[in-house]
Amino acid sequence: MPVAGYIPELKALKLRLNVFIKMRWLVVLGIIAVTLSAKYLFNISFNALPVFIICLFLLAYNLLMYLWNRRLAKDDTELVIKRAQTSGYIQVLFDLGILTILLHFTGGITNPFVFVYVIHTTAASILLTKRRAYELTTIAVGMAALLAFLEYSSVIGHVNLISFVPSTIYRQLNYVISIIVTLALLTYTSTYITTAVAGELRQQHLKMDLLRDKLLKEDELELQRISSEVNRLKDERSSFVRLLNVVTHDLQAPLVAVQSCISYVLDGYAGDIAEEQKNWLQRGSRRIDSLLILITDLLDIPRIELGQLKQEMTELPLNEIIIHSTEGLDIIAKKKGLQFMVDIPRKSPVVNGSSRRLQQVITNLINNAINYTKEGGITVKLTETESEVRIDIIDTGIGVPAKDLPKLFDEFYRGSNVESKGSGLGLSIARRIIAAHGGKIWAESPNPDTGQGSKFTFIMPKKIDNSQINII
Amino acid sequence: MSKILVIDDDVDLSAVAKGVLEREGFTVILASNGEEGLTQARKEKPDLIILDITMPVMDGYTFANEFNRDMTIANIPVVALTSYVESPLDQPVPFQVTEWVKKPLKPKDLVLLVKKYLKNSRKAT
Repeated sequence: MPVAGYIPELKALKLRLNVFIKMRWLVVLGIIAVTLSAKYLFNISFNALPVFIICLFLLAYNLLMYLWNRRLAKDDTELVIKRAQTSGYIQVLFDLGILTILLHFTGGITNPFVFVYVIHTTAASILLTKRRAYELTTIAVGMAALLAFLEYSSVIGHVNLISFVPSTIYRQLNYVISIIVTLALLTYTSTYITTAVAGELRQQHLKMDLLRDKLLKEDELELQRISSEVNRLKDERSSFVRLLNVVTHDLQAPLVAVQSCISYVLDGYAGDIAEEQKNWLQRGSRRIDSLLILITDLLDIPRIELGQLKQEMTELPLNEIIIHSTEGLDIIAKKKGLQFMVDIPRKSPVVNGSSRRLQQVITNLINNAINYTKEGGITVKLTETESEVRIDIIDTGIGVPAKDLPKLFDEFYRGSNVESKGSGLGLSIARRIIAAHGGKIWAESPNPDTGQGSKFTFIMPKKIDNSQINII
Repeated sequence: MSKILVIDDDVDLSAVAKGVLEREGFTVILASNGEEGLTQARKEKPDLIILDITMPVMDGYTFANEFNRDMTIANIPVVALTSYVESPLDQPVPFQVTEWVKKPLKPKDLVLLVKKYLKNSRKAT
């Protein structure tokens, strides 16, 4: 939605009405100043009392208008423009009336301030519609003419500005007519010019508003389109994950059954079996094992890529993850006659990650290290910097040939110096998991610190402290 | 004699489990889906339930929820045997069991698992 209720025209109108009220305060001061200076500076003698009474009335009236305006400012209904315009019209009408009365008590049309009508009509032209402006201009000229006529024909009295103008000039028809004609000329010309300019400005304003609304609407449509596209992709993704789960399960279920049946025979539940029979069954069993691992690994890749991992992320103390990952593996290593060392800081660094996936990576790296190490040992080391954690898995094994290092983390890439074991996907999955955690994984061989074996390292960002986030 | 209820739609896996556990001296009752499993659990009051998750008619999730609500059987330990994708580590699961174990399970591991819960089995002769 465009900004509701925001109408620049209205804002401008309210502002202008406020300007009128401020002007009126000044006008009262002006009238008093002019009256006093006329009487005492220029020695023009006339009865100033009515002027001051009118001033008092003007003050009261302006206070009323001020309050009315404040109410209009709070008005948010659609009618507010109409109301503001009515208020403007009435104010100008009143001002014209007051001016006329004031003029009557200060010499009628012999007072040069008779041309102040132009100010009123100009104001009306800015504030109101063209028609209203001309209406008020006509009323202004009419009032001046009526005043002049009534004084001329002695229907009402005339206040002489003694020692300023000849005392009979208000009865000179040609003088009266020339003043009225000049006034009419001035007011109508000013109204014509002002309404033309104001109208033009108003037109442009309107065009800009329309344009802005159109642009806002286009933005909104674009946003809707994008968000529906995003939702579509999300739906597609989750249905793909569901499909993957079904496929994985259905591929694994018969293999698991076959494996169990073979184990049943192998473990002697179906009666004693000869050594040779046992060997053949074991061959079959091993192949099924590796097929099960391959299926799991293969279907793991899209799951990681599809961001399922992100949903599993929680705050994890890395020490715990390492301890869980090494469970059981230390026993396997020791059975093989290898040393097994875990070097972790006393206070565990915390990361944002998937516990299961990080354990998968560490377990995979340690498994590889055990598999390719005949003597010596394996060290798992956790260190941290200000912003990152670093895990090294160091072995004293056969190492990785230099030519294999760059491709080690590619799918189905196997080292040229090792017998194939596992799916060939373990390290590529590890790379994807670490990448999804915003980290990096690499291998060095020989280990630059010792000149033998290999060192697998991954780094990932530490969990940012909540207190730090608050500061930002 | 301890009674074990095995709820699994895979007839081969059920047969293996039955063979292995009977050899160990347990009484084994089979059910091929959650609904059958509930009926058997209420009728036989087994000492342990081994539960598969993906099954027709009534799956393991639904079974576990129904099971936990029935106070007459809710205290029986339930071991959920799952293939990789159904593991609670993989996705939050809306129910509780006593323990999760991943398939495939070797016969001797199955025996170890069962003995963890049932110590008073009679050795087969």
